[in-house]
Amino acid sequence: MNWILQALNGFSLGALLFLLASGFTLTFGLARVVNMAHGMYYLLGGYIGLSVLRFTGNFWLALLAGGFSIAILNYFVDRYLIRRTGENHLAQVLLTVGIVLILSDIALTIWGGDSLSLPPPAFARGPIELPGNIFYPKYRFLLIVFGAIIGAVLWILYKKTQIGAIVRAGVEDREMVNAMGINIDRLFTLVFALAGFLAGMSGVAGGAFLSLYPGAEWEILILALVVVIVGGLGSLEGAMVGSVIVGLVDAYARWLLPEFSHFAVFAPMAVLLLFRPQGLFGKEA
Amino acid sequence: MILSRWSLLLCVVAAALFAPLYLGPFWLSLLMQILIFGLLALSVELLLGHIGLFSVCQAAFFAVSAYTVAILQVKYGQPTIVAVPAGMGAAIILSLIYGIAVRTSGVYFILVTIALGHVFWGISWTWVSFTNGEGGITNVPAPAVGSLVITSHSSYYYIVLAVVALCVLGYRTLTRSPFGLTLRGIRESESRMRGLGYNIAAHKYTAFVLAGTLSGIAGLLYIYFNRFVSPANAEFFLSIEVALMVLVGGTGTILGPFIGSAIMLGLRNYVSAYIDQWMIVMGLIFIVTMLWTPDGVLGVIRSLGIRGKTSHNQPGHRTRTPEEGK
Repeated sequence: MNWILQALNGFSLGALLFLLASGFTLTFGLARVVNMAHGMYYLLGGYIGLSVLRFTGNFWLALLAGGFSIAILNYFVDRYLIRRTGENHLAQVLLTVGIVLILSDIALTIWGGDSLSLPPPAFARGPIELPGNIFYPKYRFLLIVFGAIIGAVLWILYKKTQIGAIVRAGVEDREMVNAMGINIDRLFTLVFALAGFLAGMSGVAGGAFLSLYPGAEWEILILALVVVIVGGLGSLEGAMVGSVIVGLVDAYARWLLPEFSHFAVFAPMAVLLLFRPQGLFGKEA
Repeated sequence: MILSRWSLLLCVVAAALFAPLYLGPFWLSLLMQILIFGLLALSVELLLGHIGLFSVCQAAFFAVSAYTVAILQVKYGQPTIVAVPAGMGAAIILSLIYGIAVRTSGVYFILVTIALGHVFWGISWTWVSFTNGEGGITNVPAPAVGSLVITSHSSYYYIVLAVVALCVLGYRTLTRSPFGLTLRGIRESESRMRGLGYNIAAHKYTAFVLAGTLSGIAGLLYIYFNRFVSPANAEFFLSIEVALMVLVGGTGTILGPFIGSAIMLGLRNYVSAYIDQWMIVMGLIFIVTMLWTPDGVLGVIRSLGIRGKTSHNQPGHRTRTPEEGK
């Protein structure tokens, strides 16, 4: 019984991590950019969603506002800052950490240092009864469904549409795509905006069951990094599988080994490093 | 040039030796911090400047030796003479374990070391019964050997100075040895060095452990300076800050990390006295350094024409990513 509940906990955390990690991994896959600001995007998206929710009372509007504002932010960050670093990953990491510092100080001034959380929408409050007489918080269950839907949409977009084909080609060989007459710059912009949108949205979605507080940006970022390391950098399937693994390991560790829960999620990463350093779906480094 | 270099060095040595005579307690403690964090930055430089690996977990080695000393001295009442080698050993053991990270390269190495650094932070934070969790360990006694207790700030300064000087000399010898040359060879072209018959993995692993040891020494100096250790000393953020010190100072030299450390710590003391938004200032330093002065202060000085001799065997002053080398 408890096993199933914990699995559901794991899947719901995994769904959240997937929203964050998929943007991170796609930006890296296509643009070769490591954007450490993704954790901050999560937090900032959540805060903006919270303010919109307080103002309008509409959860969907909050979700969209969080997503779109971060999409716009990521567009500018990419265009005017990250793009100048070329392919120097070290510079990207430090540059984006600098962006996080500035944004987090601004966020602290606006939203304060207390732990805040978004009230879930009315239709998602209370428990849901699942087959087998299992009662589970409705919001977390819907989050799993939401994560699965986003995952499916992204997968179809990536594998079955023309834009997806171009993005995949861009991941393989950027110069060649450019030589075929496709404006790769516009594609980058699109992927950065999409990544920002997903990260901002994940903040709103996550703010309703994890709380938002200064420092949360690093905690969630590190979980997302583990997802990406486990799944393989630049791979959408990797982000899916990785987030489910990390979510499940985290949930079971919290239940079975509470003292070690903080770092149990790193165990699969260490094992993988020994046997498959490039991650499950990653290409040879 | 040679003459002015030696006279400059002599001035620096003299200034450092007599520092307690003319510096007040505030400036002396700032100088000690600059030396200690400069040493930590030097460990980042060992990996970054010589093999092109950017490690973001040096704070873990720094904190593990500090924690080991603090726990042994405070909780188990062990003397300094036991605690210091144990702290050193802890840093070496942790770097031997974390050394698996060198199986990856480039971005993967950065991400993996971030995660590994976070694991140690998590342990220091959650294992409350052993590490006191968030509160950290306070009241670490002054270092003592037998009946000799080093209580005054100025006498501890000489210990810091001596240890840092020894580490710098060791570092200089190491990086100019065939081993150091091999490391830079690996940075330039891994495949070619492999072709020449060098064991790449073993060299990377050794360098990683040496860097961890250096961070551990910095941690030992820090714990007796600060007399207090908390999870903040193991944070991801400290590792990143130290890496920035290297880049602000300029990679490829021994002096760079110390200059970076002086600039960062000096600025922090100066700025935070006037405004609360130190984080925003720090973020701007990150961005400005990365976009406009990627070679650091020393790089700027070099490009202004005060050019030192850089032969091909010297560590290059440019930060290279491993991808570039292939």
